Amino acid sequence: MNGRAATVAGYLAGFALLFALWHLAATLLVRSALFPPPLPVLERAAALIADGILQEQVGASLRRILQGFLIGSAAGIPIGLAIGSFRPVRALLEPWTEFFRFIPAVAMITVAVIWFGIGEESKVFLIAYTTVFVVVIATAAGVGAVGRDKIRAAQCLGATRLQVFRLVALPATVPYILTGMRLAMANSFVTIVAAELVASNDGLGKMLWDARLFMQIEDIFVALVALGLLGFATDRLFRLAIRAFAGRFNPTM
Amino acid sequence: MALVSLDGVGKTYRGRGGAWEAVRDFTLDLAEGEFFCLLGTSGCGKTTVLNMVAGFEPPTAGRILLDGREVKGPGADRGVVFQGHDSLYDWLSALDNVAFGPRLRGMGRRARRAHAQRFLELVGLAGQGGKHPSELSGGMKQRIQIARALANDPRILLMDEPFGALDALTRATLQGELSRIWAGTGKTVLFITHDIEEACALATRIGVMTRGPGGTLKAVLPVDLPFPRERTSDAFMAVFRRVHALIHEEMARP
Repeated sequence: MNGRAATVAGYLAGFALLFALWHLAATLLVRSALFPPPLPVLERAAALIADGILQEQVGASLRRILQGFLIGSAAGIPIGLAIGSFRPVRALLEPWTEFFRFIPAVAMITVAVIWFGIGEESKVFLIAYTTVFVVVIATAAGVGAVGRDKIRAAQCLGATRLQVFRLVALPATVPYILTGMRLAMANSFVTIVAAELVASNDGLGKMLWDARLFMQIEDIFVALVALGLLGFATDRLFRLAIRAFAGRFNPTM
Repeated sequence: MALVSLDGVGKTYRGRGGAWEAVRDFTLDLAEGEFFCLLGTSGCGKTTVLNMVAGFEPPTAGRILLDGREVKGPGADRGVVFQGHDSLYDWLSALDNVAFGPRLRGMGRRARRAHAQRFLELVGLAGQGGKHPSELSGGMKQRIQIARALANDPRILLMDEPFGALDALTRATLQGELSRIWAGTGKTVLFITHDIEEACALATRIGVMTRGPGGTLKAVLPVDLPFPRERTSDAFMAVFRRVHALIHEEMARP
């Protein structure tokens, strides 16, 4: 418990330092209307929250991330397991993953908009797209990394092929799956902003774009800080989940 | 009839670099209830012999019979204790690791845990069942492996240098425990080692292998000493010297 309190104190001190440096840089170094200090930004954030606008934009972005992320993970985990378990499936599908992972989601925005319009579908598609390959690769790597002796031990305890998969390969792969999902979540934040910048009616990316258009410099910084905090929070949640599920059997994580 | 019989067993690996003969013309009968130590220098093929008996690798010559039936692959009738402890399931508690075999056979949760608890007691870890492998020492992990194999009630226990990675004191303690467990359960054991003293302390028979490649049985010595064995006794030293001479003859061979 003491360690956790120290961690939280460290986070708070770290953020305080970041805001202090920001304040000093904006008031002493740059002194430009284009780089506001934190206080007016926080005031603007408070106003946006009071009007319900910030929550709306954050909610729109988060909803898309969550939907796409869940679809991408739900597709990626079984595909990754199949690639990791069966040689023919690997031979067949590995070119796919190796091909598509070099086409970033950002490059797919154009086709996504052409196919799905600027509504929810295009964004959810892009997040699912960016998620699925990362999860597939991490899951397949996890299956490949299951120790040979773990499988042999199960075999000489009488396990069938299905039992080896269900009771050994699958649980041994969970830390890898979670790590892949954590990585995919970070990618989702990058992708959603890019997609909303280009084609959207709401969300944090749209907020950034509109603020640039109308030179609402504080709004830009509110959106940036919101993105940073949201990403930070979701990543911590993932780390907690990985610890809870996997920390016991993988002290390196 | 022998419990396990290896009949002219050989293993040749073929790869890009050509063929490598690990084991050649290996013939041995294991009787029910005996503790057989297969002793040899590193690279002599002793682990390959165990892997073939376990069914992890098929022989490329000869055949292996268990209860008169040819071994075709791994099965619950042969319990294996591995050298490293990577074979334990980190996501399960020690108790659930031991209960893994019964679980595979569909035994209910309560029944298999009660069953596993008895084997944890047998290996002296009665109070440690709730811990996970990462929380246990190397010696404890090997005890868990032994309990897990025994809880499945195999016909034979195959042990591949199980104490090789432990410090000398822990190793001696576990050797004593294993002797006691073997005497108590009457299990047949095939035990692989390169440690002469270990073989003399545990075995009812010692098989010495020739140096690899193409390792085979050089000699089989019965060890007619009572248990627990007194390692400083003259009788023990006499056995040790005989085995030692055989091993060093092999090492000196050009």
